[in-house]
Amino acid sequence: MKHLFYGFIVLISFQIKAQELFVFTEPASNMPSNSVGIRLGQSLLNEQIKSGYNYHIMPEIMWGINKNLMIHASAFVSNRNTNLVTEGGSFYAKYRFFSIDDLHSHFRLATFGRYSFNNADIHQDEIETMGHNTGFETGIIATQLINKVAISSTLSFEKALDNKPNYDFPSTQSNNATNYSLSFGKLVYPKKYTSFKQTNINLMVEFLGQTLNENGKSYLDVAPSIQFIINSQARIDLAYKQELYASMLRSAPNGFYLKMEYTFFNIKQNKK
Amino acid sequence: MKSTFLYISLFLFALNTNAQIIKAEIIATGLTCSMCSNAINKQFKALAEVENVETDLNTNTFTVYLKKDSKITPRILKERVEKAGFFVGSMIITMQFVNLNISDNFSVSQDNLPLIFIDSKSKTLNGATRVKILDKSFVTQKEYKKLSKLYAKYVSYALVNEDNYHLKTI
Repeated sequence: MKHLFYGFIVLISFQIKAQELFVFTEPASNMPSNSVGIRLGQSLLNEQIKSGYNYHIMPEIMWGINKNLMIHASAFVSNRNTNLVTEGGSFYAKYRFFSIDDLHSHFRLATFGRYSFNNADIHQDEIETMGHNTGFETGIIATQLINKVAISSTLSFEKALDNKPNYDFPSTQSNNATNYSLSFGKLVYPKKYTSFKQTNINLMVEFLGQTLNENGKSYLDVAPSIQFIINSQARIDLAYKQELYASMLRSAPNGFYLKMEYTFFNIKQNKK
Repeated sequence: MKSTFLYISLFLFALNTNAQIIKAEIIATGLTCSMCSNAINKQFKALAEVENVETDLNTNTFTVYLKKDSKITPRILKERVEKAGFFVGSMIITMQFVNLNISDNFSVSQDNLPLIFIDSKSKTLNGATRVKILDKSFVTQKEYKKLSKLYAKYVSYALVNEDNYHLKTI
């Protein structure tokens, strides 16, 4: 009963290190221990092959297990085949294993792994375990924060498996890839803090690339975004992703992203 | 029977723990945004023994006021900062002393906290006194490197154990 009571004393707050809270990539820092985040990602992507846009929804729940380890679980819903259909889901874990912190800076390293499943048809060369392919991804993240600027880079290996039950991975395509990203974020407002209630504004730009290991086909995207953190309680990201170049077939590389997130702090009251 | 025992042990415990740390001024490192500060703020406020937290968002200084007779140790406060994903860059605590004569490398157990004064001149501490904790993880990583050379002569400091706190009055 007592635990139930404490369970209800949930302190809502918002996540850590705004400049690092990138829209398309994860920083090496984790969310606070004993906190739970809920996130709703939506995207409207321009179809390259057929005309029109497709709409994706990605609800996600995140849990900071301890100061170094966090996990995510997500679901992928899309209307690519006319109706909104849940096509798959994913589990993700990130472990921070190195930190150097100083007064207004830090450098951190983390490693992560994701396993995803998806039942959609496979219609592009690009491998994307976040919403398109069954498969896994594992990699390393390095993040540097200096004053109000954060720079983060990710290097990962991604492998696609068959989208069971109906769609085997085409044997003519490369089923594994190397992904790389470079993200920049800057806190532009406020210049000077007066309270937790102030809206924070962050500007970000991210470069996201992939090379298919078996045939060398690749792409590079740029994704600028603006992020609002309201009342230190709500996070809203608005982003646009644009392909810079691609030598592979991709179904819908360009489009808009809207992401909303809440973090519930101190989900279990612990008095220690 | 069980509750009588509980009351007796509570009573005995209370005798041992009169006024401990009155407040702690903590500078957290590795952050520059208000949400990061809020994460730490929430961690402190979740502690039942914390009366109030004042935050200076521009310097990431948290002044944590503790309830009377709280049994909170500096290590518990440090762990809260680390749980939020950050580190302690400086921790200055205010403690109540009664005519305590200290000298360099002087050890005392004050209200169950094992304290060792280092880099200190002989003097008498009386009343609320601010002391800085010099141990590893209570100062920045850079500062600790400097201090570990500077304080190499203090055997207990070099041991880096969790059994005691090395302090300097300020």
